[in-house]
Amino acid sequence: MPDDEPLHGPDTLVEDEDEEARLEDAMARGATGGLQVESATATAAAAEGGVSDYQASLWGDAWRQLRKNPLFLAAAVLLILFTVMAVAPGLFTSRDPQAADLSRSVETPSSSHWFGFDIQGRDYYTRVIYGTRVSLIIGLLVVGVDIVIAIILGSIAGYFGRFWDGFIGRMADIWFALPTTLAGIVFLSVMGERGLLQVSFVLIFLAWPTLMRLMRSSVLAGKESDYVLAARALGASNWRILRVHILPNGIAPVIVYGTISVGIIISAEAALSFLGVGLQLPAVSWGLMISGAQFRILQSPHLLLFPALFLSTLVLCFIIIGDALRDALDPRLR
Amino acid sequence: MGRFIARRLLQAIPVFFGATFIVFTMVYAIPGDPIRALNGERPISESAQRALRERYNLDDPLVIQYAKYIGGLAQGDLGETFRGQPVSDILKQKFPVTARLALGAFIFEAILGLMAGILAGLRRGSFMDNLVLVSTTVVVAIPVFVLGFLAQLVLGVELGWFPIAGLQQGWISYVLPSMVLGSLSLVYIARLTRTSLVENLRSDYVRTAEAKGLPRRRVVGRHALRNSLIPVVTFLGVDLGTLMAGAIITEGIFNIPGIGREVFLAIQGQEFAVVVGIVTAGILIFIAMNMIVDILYAVLDPRIRLA
Amino acid sequence: MRTGRKTQEGALVEMDGSFGGHLLEVRDLAVEFNTDYGDVHAVNGINYTLDQGESLAILGESGSGKTVSALAIMGLIDRPGRVASGEIVYKGVDLLKLSGTERRSIRGSEISMIFQDALSALNPVFTVGDQIAEMFRVHRGNSRRDAMAKALELMDRVRIPSAKERLRDYPHQFSGGMRQRVMIAIGISLDPDILIADEPTTALDVTVQAQIMELLAELQQETRMGLILITHDLGVVAEVADNVSVMYAGKIVEQGSVGDIYARPSHPYTERLMNSLPRVDRKSGRLDPIKGSPPSLMRIPSGCPFHPRCPRARFPVCRGEVPPLRVVAAERLSACHFAEEVLGDAG
Repeated sequence: MPDDEPLHGPDTLVEDEDEEARLEDAMARGATGGLQVESATATAAAAEGGVSDYQASLWGDAWRQLRKNPLFLAAAVLLILFTVMAVAPGLFTSRDPQAADLSRSVETPSSSHWFGFDIQGRDYYTRVIYGTRVSLIIGLLVVGVDIVIAIILGSIAGYFGRFWDGFIGRMADIWFALPTTLAGIVFLSVMGERGLLQVSFVLIFLAWPTLMRLMRSSVLAGKESDYVLAARALGASNWRILRVHILPNGIAPVIVYGTISVGIIISAEAALSFLGVGLQLPAVSWGLMISGAQFRILQSPHLLLFPALFLSTLVLCFIIIGDALRDALDPRLR
Repeated sequence: MGRFIARRLLQAIPVFFGATFIVFTMVYAIPGDPIRALNGERPISESAQRALRERYNLDDPLVIQYAKYIGGLAQGDLGETFRGQPVSDILKQKFPVTARLALGAFIFEAILGLMAGILAGLRRGSFMDNLVLVSTTVVVAIPVFVLGFLAQLVLGVELGWFPIAGLQQGWISYVLPSMVLGSLSLVYIARLTRTSLVENLRSDYVRTAEAKGLPRRRVVGRHALRNSLIPVVTFLGVDLGTLMAGAIITEGIFNIPGIGREVFLAIQGQEFAVVVGIVTAGILIFIAMNMIVDILYAVLDPRIRLA
Repeated sequence: MRTGRKTQEGALVEMDGSFGGHLLEVRDLAVEFNTDYGDVHAVNGINYTLDQGESLAILGESGSGKTVSALAIMGLIDRPGRVASGEIVYKGVDLLKLSGTERRSIRGSEISMIFQDALSALNPVFTVGDQIAEMFRVHRGNSRRDAMAKALELMDRVRIPSAKERLRDYPHQFSGGMRQRVMIAIGISLDPDILIADEPTTALDVTVQAQIMELLAELQQETRMGLILITHDLGVVAEVADNVSVMYAGKIVEQGSVGDIYARPSHPYTERLMNSLPRVDRKSGRLDPIKGSPPSLMRIPSGCPFHPRCPRARFPVCRGEVPPLRVVAAERLSACHFAEEVLGDAG
């Protein structure tokens, strides 16, 4: 993983604004308040519409906006392509990623072997295609589990507050104090056998606090909102308030940051494998390929460039999709 | 202010113990015999094993081991390597190298990041703005180790501007690794500065400043920037801590003998005392920088200071 | 400004206050925001005048264009907004024809503006003393010490207790009412000819609201400045305003003196506003809100913009023809096809 604590990077990539926001802002400057009597009628009307309509429109509007975003569409198409590659690499290549022909070691790209051969004389294109799988699995698995952890702990901390908020908050503080790269290396290097599950476990273990904090602040904000106060006044149970009123709205920022995190985690896995503490041979991983290429980047730059290109593109896909999701989901921008 | 600092110090204590305990547990509570793990394939005599167990308190329960370790730490004793070299000596020797590298990265990311962020934020939607947005997204997507190799290939080999690796040529040897090390934070700083500036330029008090008839330069420079930089400065502070706590990948790629490489060698040589010592130092630096940043925050923002 | 300035007609006009016409005259002002989704017509050709010592209330609900029109006078309409047409004549000079620097020198010193939420409108990281003193330092070139002394005087003048100790406090350390007083101190610091107050009391408690309005009224008495009060609060209007312009969907729909308009509205919108207020003298305790919501400024209804919500609307005329703002009685203007009928009913 990059040296600068990427797992806990500030969510500055998650930033806002759009041209319309400026306008809305300019208009809102004048438009505060309104006639009280009037806004009362408006609130009543909104209440009739119900919360679920609002949620449907939040995601519905987001989807309508995403469909018009060419950058998002390009990233989505690429991501689908990567997914097919991960699920059925056989569709892209008929060769075996482990089949070696030492006589063709580090042969450069040609028309029949687009990416050339690696040191063992294995077809590099095939290996790069097959490498997609671990990256995607680890990225999705780690972020998926961390989102579940974030929802559970974040909801408890944000909704029930007091003791649990303090406890979970201090835990997160402690985790933030761990130097991520160092800790990742240490934890993995003491594990005898390192496969997909071990690497995923360590990344899950190190990356949860950021998503948890996002969820917590989301739940906190939701808890204070008028419709939740109203639901509580009507006697709805805690569980129902959380499930129906808070989570569906509160989860949006977590989904956005989670999407970007998938990219960051994929990058982190590659870095750990590159450092020799991630996946172990004979696993087929971009990080391992780049690691194998590192001492011959001058003689055989293709060994570095192809896996690096795939890796960066996949990471970029998630970042772009996350960025686009954020823009589309932020109602302030509409 | 004094009470603020005292409270902050108190809060840091459990964080320190918690974080070091996690690391300690992970390293020492691994199933299997640590002595065997420490020595790998090498055969080891019964008596030597016993001596080692004694020396590393391995027969104590984990919590006692940890307590003894912290006790030593309080006296500046971070333990020793198998060859008997104090870990603190290794830190003293390697830390300045990493600190110089971190400082170089810090200067690079601060100057370039602030410039890019301000230029983009002042003229939203301009060519410059889009350039900053696109280039930062691409830089984030490229993993640091790939970026390092690319920098070596292009700036080192092809253009020949900088040494490719090692520290033989003095300060200029630090330029390329510093740039690579600072690249990711540079992106965050540029984006944070931009977002923060854009938000502040839209704020009510900037409109007030305009309504007061202040010149544009004063509105932006004194009112908007002063506020926009608060989050940026705090990020920079935390980041300096993070950079110093370890630049493992960068030091590896550029073959720089700093803390990061030392950790690596220690892991390969199964020198767990060194690993734990360095990680503990990293945690300490991180906590210290965070406290400094919190205090800095309070100095910069009266709303925190006088709350 | 003392030397006079050329108007667009080429005549030289004295600028020292002895000048003949209205202090401020807004003519056919239109402001629009050009966005990707279409043009938003925030202000659509409004006219009004302001004289020395006059209090003019601009009354309207959110999105009626009242604040945007004030920002246009200040020259603070930013991209993507622009003043599409019209003139803003201040002491005989069209402000829209001045250069940026000239406008800036007027802003704050001759025409100043105070905003609704003083907490966000004041810079959180500078002391209130600094923020008041900045006016003297920038516009008058005073030294720091002199500027601070004047800031202190101003804080006394807006009746902030123990001003001397509070000079070096930050905005968040003040109560809402005191913050708004700081805002007012900045607004009046250079003895402006016009003070625009944009919902100055909306964010405040009712008792504090009254104190702030009282202060504004007193300051206006002392300085004879023209006061433009932007508000949605009919009560505030009744307290301090001489004249009222009612805005709806970027247009002025009714103009007249406070007494006249409150006694006998001549536009159905004003009429409905009055009826929507809770009143002690009405028999039934029910409120009578205006139905529907204000129109989107991207799609202003055809004809009279109020017709979809108007209980008196008649078709096709109200939907087909834009009612001009016309004289309907002595000193009364209304933009309703049936203004006379409205007036008649009210009487």
